[in-house]
Amino acid sequence: MCLLEADDHLVQRHLFRREQENYRFIFQTLQFLLRFTLFIHQSSTMVLEATMICIDNSEWMRNGDYAPTRFQAQADAVNLICGAKTQSNPENTVGVLTMAGKGVRVLVTPTTDLGKILACMHGLEIGGEMNLAAGIQVAQLALKHRQNKKQQQRIIVFAGGPVRYDKKVLEMIGKKLKKNSVALDVVNFGEEDEAKTEKLEALVAAVNNNDSSHIVHVPAGSNALSDVLLSTPIFTGDGEGGSGFAAAAAAAAAGGVSGFDFGVDPNLDPELALALRVSMEEERARQEAAAKKAADDSSKQGKEGESTSQDATMSENVGASASESENKKDDLMDDENALLQQALAMSMDDPAATVTTRDTDMSEAAADDQDLALALQYSMQEDAKDQSDMSKLLADQSFVSSILTNLPGVDPNDPSVKDLLASMQNQPEKKEDDDKAPKEDDK
Amino acid sequence: MACLHDHSCEDHDCSSDWSLYKHIDIPKVSALNESVHGSVKSVFKAWEQRLSSSEGVLESNEGDPELIVFIPFTSDVKIKSISIVGGADGTSPNKMRAFINREGIDFSDAQSMQAVQEWDLAENLQGVLEYQTRYSRFQGVGNLTLHFPDNYGGDTSRIQYIGLKGEATQLKRDVVATIVYELMPNPSDHKTKSESGGGMSHVE
Repeated sequence: MCLLEADDHLVQRHLFRREQENYRFIFQTLQFLLRFTLFIHQSSTMVLEATMICIDNSEWMRNGDYAPTRFQAQADAVNLICGAKTQSNPENTVGVLTMAGKGVRVLVTPTTDLGKILACMHGLEIGGEMNLAAGIQVAQLALKHRQNKKQQQRIIVFAGGPVRYDKKVLEMIGKKLKKNSVALDVVNFGEEDEAKTEKLEALVAAVNNNDSSHIVHVPAGSNALSDVLLSTPIFTGDGEGGSGFAAAAAAAAAGGVSGFDFGVDPNLDPELALALRVSMEEERARQEAAAKKAADDSSKQGKEGESTSQDATMSENVGASASESENKKDDLMDDENALLQQALAMSMDDPAATVTTRDTDMSEAAADDQDLALALQYSMQEDAKDQSDMSKLLADQSFVSSILTNLPGVDPNDPSVKDLLASMQNQPEKKEDDDKAPKEDDK
Repeated sequence: MACLHDHSCEDHDCSSDWSLYKHIDIPKVSALNESVHGSVKSVFKAWEQRLSSSEGVLESNEGDPELIVFIPFTSDVKIKSISIVGGADGTSPNKMRAFINREGIDFSDAQSMQAVQEWDLAENLQGVLEYQTRYSRFQGVGNLTLHFPDNYGGDTSRIQYIGLKGEATQLKRDVVATIVYELMPNPSDHKTKSESGGGMSHVE
């Protein structure tokens, strides 16, 4: 019964994956074409620009509501912007200054050297309060003394902390920028404040001349600051596809972390892609066999359960990628006994709950490994169908087996490993407790 | 239409004198503090059309009468005199300051720098006044920047026409006009003498 279901499922998934692959291939081709045409057209859509980026390194940037911290998210966005600007026109210059800290400080004057810009972003200290007016004025001064007077002037401000200045003062500054034909882009993130939003909107409205200035509001959330910015006019320029970099990056971001099957472009490296695909199929087949075995042996009670499960735990500890499983089990360790038992009870009774909890744990484990992610997804789908015992078994087992396959020097066809896998499924409850015990012993 | 020349206009065509506009590099003309981006280009036209505002007018931003107009030429020119037609109701500029061969002058630069020459303007709505230059200082002009700091009391400044009288030489001051970037070296672009049919070739 289980075998049939699995088979069906396998075929279904196979077909689905074929479909997905087709769509992905089409997507890849389109992406390639897009990049190609943008590459060809790039020479005709370059805007010569000198940009000053004003970074907020105030105390408010320590907050973690943007992953990992506001400051880090900001730094990523800055790096992305610098790359886009320098790529869209080789003569574009970018400079960086900080607005908080001890005072407004220019880190690097407008330069074409991307390395210099990235280097200066290291070792910045967070502290103080953002001085928006002074920051903009210093940026304007830095742009005034740019070497190539033919460049258009642009200031990009990252406003994370609160804004202390009056709306009137900001409007005056905006008018002055407009008079000197300096464009201004504002990224409003971090502190959410009615007054702040209003002030920044007024500032950008005062500067705006012919739609060259923009303001972007980025609320805290799961999306990275850089990803949100990619689709805004800050990256895409004034209407036209200002940089192929931005468009391609946006397309890639929209298509998922890797637009390709296994993180490898079949166009670029067909052999590697093929190898990965074959190993994926093999993994699937092996899991299939293991699942079958689990179904067969579910009634048996292995005697060597304890020692082998200990072995299992220890071998897991040894493995490099088992660090994540360690964390998972460590978490269990750190919980109170009662909570642990409760969790176990819940997971035994409720397959759905198991799936979701497993999901979060395993999603960490699978973060780096697309193969593993797919394997786990597969195991997830199987879980949903099976009974509670089975679901836990399979989840545990497939997770463990995939961990084991990733361990260097562990051969899945090794008889001892197979024994291990067989015994694992027999001792779900005991295993959890045993994990606790050997862990305590180990530590 | 009375001119300030000491002859009557029927004898010759005044417009031929004011033909320096043909040597202006119109696409590269720019202005600071203009309310409509690009409207400054409509200000340079033939003398006969100096009063027609069909193509638009250079107007400064609300509440700020200052204007800077940057005029690059296609070849070096000698400027003899300048004529300005302003707007009505106090929107005409009342002062003009000129700088030559300086790029990227903004308002703070203009206020602090010494102008090559300054004039007090009258409200010249018919376009009959011309302001002569100190000709010796306006030889070999590659680009001209005009700064209008104030007007006759209007909220904005309006300029309908800027006329330039003088001579154009065939010389060009700016040597590097365009730069071509090579993304990848293309050997066919760099043929040595030997490849293109003989001669002493020098291999680096």
